[in-house]
Amino acid sequence: MVNLEDLKMEAKRILDEGRVKYIIGYQRGTNGVMSVPAFIKKPEDVEKLIWDPTCIYNLTRFLVDEKRRKARQKEPDQRPVGIIAKGCDTRAIVVLLQEEFIKREDVFVFGISCENTGVLDEKKIAEKVQGKKVKKVEFGENKNFIITTENGSIDVSAKEVLAERCLECKANYPVIGDISFGEKVASGLTQPFLSLEKMESLSGEERWRFWEQQFNKCIRCYACRSVCPMCYCEECVVDTINFAVTADTSAEEKAQKIKWVEKSPVTSENFIYHLVRAMHLAGRCIDCGECERVCPVEIPLRFLNKKLEKEAKELFDYDVGFDPEKPSLVSCFKDEDPEDFIR
Amino acid sequence: MEKILTKQSFPQWVKKLKSYNVYAPVKNDKDNHWNYETIDMNDPNVLDSNYLNTVLSPKKIIFPQREVFLEFGSQNEEGYDIKATLPDEELSVFFGVRPCDARAVALMDKVFSGDFEDVYYWKRRKSTTLVGLACNTPPSQNCFCLSVEGSPFSKEGLDILLVDLGDRYFVDSLTEKGDQLINVAKEIFKEPGEKDKSAVKKAQLDSEKEINRQIKDIKEIPLKLKEMFDSSFWDEESLSCIRCGICTYLCPTCHCFDISDEVIATSPLKGKRVRTWDNCQFPDFTMHSSGHNPRPDKASRLRQRTLHKFQYFVEKYNHFMCTGCSRCVSKCPVGIDIIDVLNKVNHYE
Amino acid sequence: MNSMSNEYIPKAAKIIDIKEEVGGARAIKTFRTRFISENSFSHRCGQCAMLSVFGKGESMISISSTPLIKDYLQFSILKMGRVTTALHDMEVGETIGIRGPYGNGFPIDEWKGKNLIFIGGGIGLAPIWSVLQTALGKKDDFGNLMLIYGSRTSKDIVFKEELEALRKDMTVHLSVDVEEPGWEEFVGFVPSNVKDKAPSPENTITVTCGPPIMIKFAIMALKELGFEDQQIYTTVENKMKCGIGKCGRCNIGPHYVCKDGPVYSWAELKDLPQEY
Repeated sequence: MVNLEDLKMEAKRILDEGRVKYIIGYQRGTNGVMSVPAFIKKPEDVEKLIWDPTCIYNLTRFLVDEKRRKARQKEPDQRPVGIIAKGCDTRAIVVLLQEEFIKREDVFVFGISCENTGVLDEKKIAEKVQGKKVKKVEFGENKNFIITTENGSIDVSAKEVLAERCLECKANYPVIGDISFGEKVASGLTQPFLSLEKMESLSGEERWRFWEQQFNKCIRCYACRSVCPMCYCEECVVDTINFAVTADTSAEEKAQKIKWVEKSPVTSENFIYHLVRAMHLAGRCIDCGECERVCPVEIPLRFLNKKLEKEAKELFDYDVGFDPEKPSLVSCFKDEDPEDFIR
Repeated sequence: MEKILTKQSFPQWVKKLKSYNVYAPVKNDKDNHWNYETIDMNDPNVLDSNYLNTVLSPKKIIFPQREVFLEFGSQNEEGYDIKATLPDEELSVFFGVRPCDARAVALMDKVFSGDFEDVYYWKRRKSTTLVGLACNTPPSQNCFCLSVEGSPFSKEGLDILLVDLGDRYFVDSLTEKGDQLINVAKEIFKEPGEKDKSAVKKAQLDSEKEINRQIKDIKEIPLKLKEMFDSSFWDEESLSCIRCGICTYLCPTCHCFDISDEVIATSPLKGKRVRTWDNCQFPDFTMHSSGHNPRPDKASRLRQRTLHKFQYFVEKYNHFMCTGCSRCVSKCPVGIDIIDVLNKVNHYE
Repeated sequence: MNSMSNEYIPKAAKIIDIKEEVGGARAIKTFRTRFISENSFSHRCGQCAMLSVFGKGESMISISSTPLIKDYLQFSILKMGRVTTALHDMEVGETIGIRGPYGNGFPIDEWKGKNLIFIGGGIGLAPIWSVLQTALGKKDDFGNLMLIYGSRTSKDIVFKEELEALRKDMTVHLSVDVEEPGWEEFVGFVPSNVKDKAPSPENTITVTCGPPIMIKFAIMALKELGFEDQQIYTTVENKMKCGIGKCGRCNIGPHYVCKDGPVYSWAELKDLPQEY
């Protein structure tokens, strides 16, 4: 079991020593039982840190924010930022390192093991407690969660309420870490792409109709893009008209920018947005599942990205986000690569 | 007028509404959320007993996310071939509108009137009848309608308010449009008795007790916000914001929009000028063509949203631009909680 | 419903004249337009209009002609982005869309009998040109008229010919930011020229327009010279889309610049959040 007091102690020590600017972690939220991101600047504030199954966020996103903040400052503080990262989150950090978006010395990783479980799915918990208000969820000793409501505590097997992506977890232990907490436990994952089978069995026509129905719900809130650590482009394909403009950009340049996707949330534009985003994440997405979690209209976005993750494995034998020394799939070319048109 | 309608007779009423587009909250299978859609008139289950609230309020249809203003074609003697594309004046009725969402429509009515009336909005609005459903229990743990001068049984903005009394609905018609809707099937409605009226009163009291969350001293808030404009409070509160559009798009009172030209063909020129929802949380919302941006960071944008709703709108219309539906609180991907933010504002030194 | 006019539909207007004021990267052209059909468009000085280039978009531009001229509307446009570049590429005879007039205009009727000082920088002369010309056209209603105007270089000065013609009716002080051969007037930024000429605040109203930083320092200079907040007027700009105070984009606090502005006295503006 991860000892929260150890985590707090180490976090306090690192802050006391001034080795990081601040630590990104999890703290109690104000609406319901879910945790929220915490930005701990003062050593005494480490008391706010928590670690329980409600710590679902991929905090790597905030490393992108930090880089943007530094870029706006005249003399930025060059110390690293501390981040509390689960196994999946550390894979996202690895991708950012592979792409040289951040440097290893910019981040201090407090890695946390999910051991035998993972994080919860809010809807599954709500079903389990049948609408009662949940006060607390804790990790149990034996692959279980302890859910406390106003009526008392119940013991639930973690598998029944885990987030879908945790059921397909490839990294329940941090793949990089400056300090790590918790034990390394075998994940027991034998079929990493099982969830895709149903979709893959559908005909092309059926798949089109499925996605048409799903994308018609899309309201283009861009939460999926905003929460993804790998969507860090200053000039995104949907925003080319407006973005990346400075006082020095000439009028002609601005006039010639192409609007690839209209703002209207109609079927054609929604398709383009989601499919292009999925393609731009091919070989980069680590399936943290945040995009699907945040979608207000429940579009099953993980299918898209997982399919491309599977292709990266099948075509290039590439596992995303494990080795920061390895070049990123989409930015290197090997002689053994299947397409020969590029030679 | 006040009536009683048994739940058993309710589908008969719906069946008679043939001259209307009938919208009700629908949950598609596999989804966990409700959305307003036109319904199968023969489906008896118009108002499901498990219904809480929709993800998108009636704003989705009265003020649609995409509205074509005009179509333009190539130059001729008169300049351009311009055709205004006003919406049809088809009658619509919405069932299951929660009082917070109806109050929000009343607020949007204020915005789209005034010196310039928005023709597109009003064509839809005038042909829309809103049938509300009082909240016997708050649809969300985060509901706070009482704090913003609302109520789970509020009638503002509605044409009819239905109160669920178990086996029957108390039907309270508040406007001519509401009366017309009832008259379509008046024979199936009964007169209410004293027992019904006191059941409604009790249901309202019980419901109001269940509302958990509260913004304390909300009347002090507009002035406090004005004093806090330059405070670093906003930097702290906006640290975890990821600049998506969920809070504003889901909000029933948010109405910011963009106008852009969609070109279908270039020679000869053909296209449409459309209005689409826009979002003050997007970084480029206020960016000038020169690159200058009055709101360049998350702090100023969070401040804008909060001040617009709880100070500026109050100064203009003497009304908070928030009805306590709490969608922004429940759906924010990072748990930013406006109730908490405002309670902190009250204590801020 | 029939009585509600559709404010979003522009009226067609032909471009009847184009004059190149400034060339190069920061090009400025002055356009004169005439509506194709008769209509009741009439504006107050300081108001703006939304110009449409179909297929590109719309842009809110101040009407720089005085309302005393009924024959055409004049706009001076700096080439900045998509819509303004499309406008600069147009020729005499082509059609654009115009809707408006929008905004609150200068309260010129309240200024009767007063001296007026116009302070402009760069393209900022265009929004105040209409009120300057109106004051000239009704000269007997006002006291002394003065213009203090400057640009980066003499090549960036707009309305060059008209400025020379002004000298017979009012005092004109020009400036350029840096020394250049042949320039005999003031050298330096416009606010410095204001301090140099030190006009008296007695019974005077000032109207300032230019880049935000120039406005800020010009107001400071005027305050140092003893001008009161309600004697200082300026126009503000912000990104706009609807032009009628509905789309929520151009607000400064509770005001919409397109509707409650763009004209503000410093007395009003300083109480608003400084977010523009």
